Amino acid sequence: MVTSVWNKPGTIANAFWERGWDFEAPETAPLPVYDMHGHMGSHNAIYFARCDAPEMVKHLKRSGIRRLVFSHHHALWGEFRNAQVRDICSQFPDVLRFYVAINPHRPQYIEEDLKLYDSFKPYVVGLKILAGYHKVVVTDKRYEKAMEFAAERKLPVLFHTWNGCPFNGLDPMTQLCKRYPTVTFFIGHSFSNWQAAKKLADQTENTYFELTSLPGQYGMIEHLVQEVGSKRIIFGTDMPWFDEFQHIGGILSAEISDEAKKDILCGNIERLLGKDW
Amino acid sequence: MTSETLEQKRAARKEWLSKLEFFDAFCSLYIDNNSEEFESAIASPEKLLAEMDRNGVSRAVVYHGNTGMVGAAYANNELAEGIKAYSDRLTGVWSILPEQCHELPDVEHIFVAMKENNIGALTLYPTWHRWIPNKLTIGRLMEAVAARKVPVYLPLGNGEGSWKWVYDFMKEFPTATTIVATLGLWGSDRNLRPLLENYPNLHAEMSQYWVPEGITDMAKIYGADRLLYGSGMPKMGFGSTMLSIVNLQLPEGDIEKIASGNIKRLLAWN
Ligand SMILES: [Zn+2]
Repeated sequence: MVTSVWNKPGTIANAFWERGWDFEAPETAPLPVYDMHGHMGSHNAIYFARCDAPEMVKHLKRSGIRRLVFSHHHALWGEFRNAQVRDICSQFPDVLRFYVAINPHRPQYIEEDLKLYDSFKPYVVGLKILAGYHKVVVTDKRYEKAMEFAAERKLPVLFHTWNGCPFNGLDPMTQLCKRYPTVTFFIGHSFSNWQAAKKLADQTENTYFELTSLPGQYGMIEHLVQEVGSKRIIFGTDMPWFDEFQHIGGILSAEISDEAKKDILCGNIERLLGKDW
Repeated sequence: MTSETLEQKRAARKEWLSKLEFFDAFCSLYIDNNSEEFESAIASPEKLLAEMDRNGVSRAVVYHGNTGMVGAAYANNELAEGIKAYSDRLTGVWSILPEQCHELPDVEHIFVAMKENNIGALTLYPTWHRWIPNKLTIGRLMEAVAARKVPVYLPLGNGEGSWKWVYDFMKEFPTATTIVATLGLWGSDRNLRPLLENYPNLHAEMSQYWVPEGITDMAKIYGADRLLYGSGMPKMGFGSTMLSIVNLQLPEGDIEKIASGNIKRLLAWN
């Protein structure tokens, strides 16, 4: 048998491949992986057997995830409030962190939640904006309060982005990233298009390209690393949508250097946010 | 747990992994000229085999990635020619059409032709090729196919089937040995579980089933015999699903079935 990406001794891929994730101690994981794009709660169109905190945390722990930062489905789309999400995180303080879900159709909730932001610490990491689903373009006035809040505090904001989408495609995202230079933009799904990601990367410095749904797509990670550079790519899964091992496997099996794999899975986030959060 | 036990566990896992074989049950060859993503497609068997080697995949079932556009007869021939030199690692899939137009070998000859050409399974593109798969169009063929347990791939997406299409096909041919493929990235349990429950010869390949612990859950309910490792190349790559399969919370024997055992069993008719 030819030496494969998995059985080359001394590589990160080999360490993940051979590790017995169910019997090894968590602190011996080859890398502390940061999943920067998760959700929680049931979904209208998908059956999730494991979408609440206890089951999710079990999966996260056994796949070596140090932190999952998520926005709750029902805070994005329903009447579940961000304060309740904070309480969920507080039950799993060693793993769970959250983004304040911003719903442009609930201006009063935005105002209330931003006022509560400091009380969400230490579990809150930033804001989440899902313009493609809420069908309000990211440059709309309805996000202004939230964006100004993030700019003032230099917070990360995770955006769902998709190439060609009028609400969070390349053009409105480029405008917004330039308008708020002190905000750290997490470009969720990297527009699902490496060409669009490159265009934004070339024009901005405050942007990091997030990978949900991309690892596993043949050649995608290689293209992104080549075009935007491994220092600007961060890992995410939409958990509980996608399996952590599947997404990590997509990074580890890509034809990129071990250094790039490390940047993506943990290095970049530790550089941005540190290790103690 | 003593450290010795831990060492033993590590050694046992390493040993097991070194013997674990991956046989990709759903992979394609040749460029789909109608896809925007064609630049990443695998255009030659040599390139495909190199990528399999890089990922540690020993064998693959391959269909012609441009069957939709070039048609079944052309694609079937080109695929058979392309994989001829690699029959130890690549097994082909032929696409079928209504019997009445006699565009492909008829039911008396098709199985011999498949054997001669290293073709282990069938598939169909009724949307692309404009026909209706039912007893009127492929009744005689499907009766023989089901009796011989020849696996039939039912592909979703790529301009082809919908879940409704798969449900209709299974209602028409309930005993057929089938493999539902390209499930779509939005978790498909609501569509897949009723099929697994009702049709014991239906299987699914996992290239786009990414629900956390979902393969483990389905294998526990319907049996590990029903699920297959598939890469979905070249839309998807080989490696990502491999890492989730070696970490399923199932007995090693079940993981071996999903990684390679099941597809070998399904191809054994030939
Ligand atoms: Zn998301």
